[in-house]
Amino acid sequence: MSRRRRFSLDVKQNSTFALNITAMTDMFTLLLVFLLQSYSTSSVEINPIDQLTLPHSNSYKNPTDVLQISISLNEIRVLDKVVATVKDRQIASADVDPQDSNFIQPLFKELQERAKDPKSKKSDEQDNGQLLLQADQNLPYQTLRKVMYTASMAGFPHVKLITVIGN
Amino acid sequence: MKKLKINHHSELEVDLASLLAVMMKLVPVLLLSSAFMQIMVIETDLPQVVTEAIEKQEKENKKNVLVEVTPDRKIMITVDSNGTKSSVSVESKEGQIDLNKLHMAFREIKKLHPEVFKIDLAPSGNVAYSEVVRVMDEARRSRDFNIRFPIKDEKTGKDTTTDYMFPEIIFVNMMEG
Repeated sequence: MSRRRRFSLDVKQNSTFALNITAMTDMFTLLLVFLLQSYSTSSVEINPIDQLTLPHSNSYKNPTDVLQISISLNEIRVLDKVVATVKDRQIASADVDPQDSNFIQPLFKELQERAKDPKSKKSDEQDNGQLLLQADQNLPYQTLRKVMYTASMAGFPHVKLITVIGN
Repeated sequence: MKKLKINHHSELEVDLASLLAVMMKLVPVLLLSSAFMQIMVIETDLPQVVTEAIEKQEKENKKNVLVEVTPDRKIMITVDSNGTKSSVSVESKEGQIDLNKLHMAFREIKKLHPEVFKIDLAPSGNVAYSEVVRVMDEARRSRDFNIRFPIKDEKTGKDTTTDYMFPEIIFVNMMEG
């Protein structure tokens, strides 16, 4: 009786196999070109807020590191802190001074505190009363005007408008 | 004499492994630092000559250009030159600001008053922020880079040109109720 031989794969122990990586290199080259093109040299971190669509502009100036105010369709924020409410694209009446309809009291208080606090100062530009304003493109000018008016009262008269590049 | 044998059918294999290794390191770094949405600010660093011209205009303050955006998207441009006022109006187009005509109007005013670099902007309360930004874009620079405006370099005294029209924009009605 003959014994059946166990099947074994004929593998050469010292062999290597060549992997064709040309296609992968092509893909990485394309990816590299795309990423180099969209590489950001700006040191300022701006996080767009939910429900906030920035307007388009043909300005090519990078933002500077100063205090940021954002006005979305729901609220006004100083950095990440919500200071006032926006309803129907208008500042909520509870946040507006009854004596002066352009004056947003909680925003003024927050900005004044930050203007006085040396820890919250980010750069020399902030000392010169500069701030970055990101606002939803659909907001009416009268809402923006109230924010700019209050900011100038609090010692921030130089407002830089944040936009997205393109037409 | 022995002849050199060249095999014309042989293929040259380049070792791409090291190149791929470099790319593998570069790609994550670039992915982390990429800006997929390019955010900019409106307020340009102007050339020295333009900055000096703006300072000169602020000191002398003889001419003033007021741009009003009405609720029905009509633009009224009033030029006050030493007390003499002249107005230009740009009618709206299908309920929107006619940006092409507005740009042409700005260009004509700049040709007449090349020493003016500042405008006062007074949009109505109901004008959307995006429309305000578009008006500012049209005023700031000439769309056609071949159209340039004369400017005098105060330091050297030489005449030069710039494509900037009205880069200094002030919201003049900010304090109004």
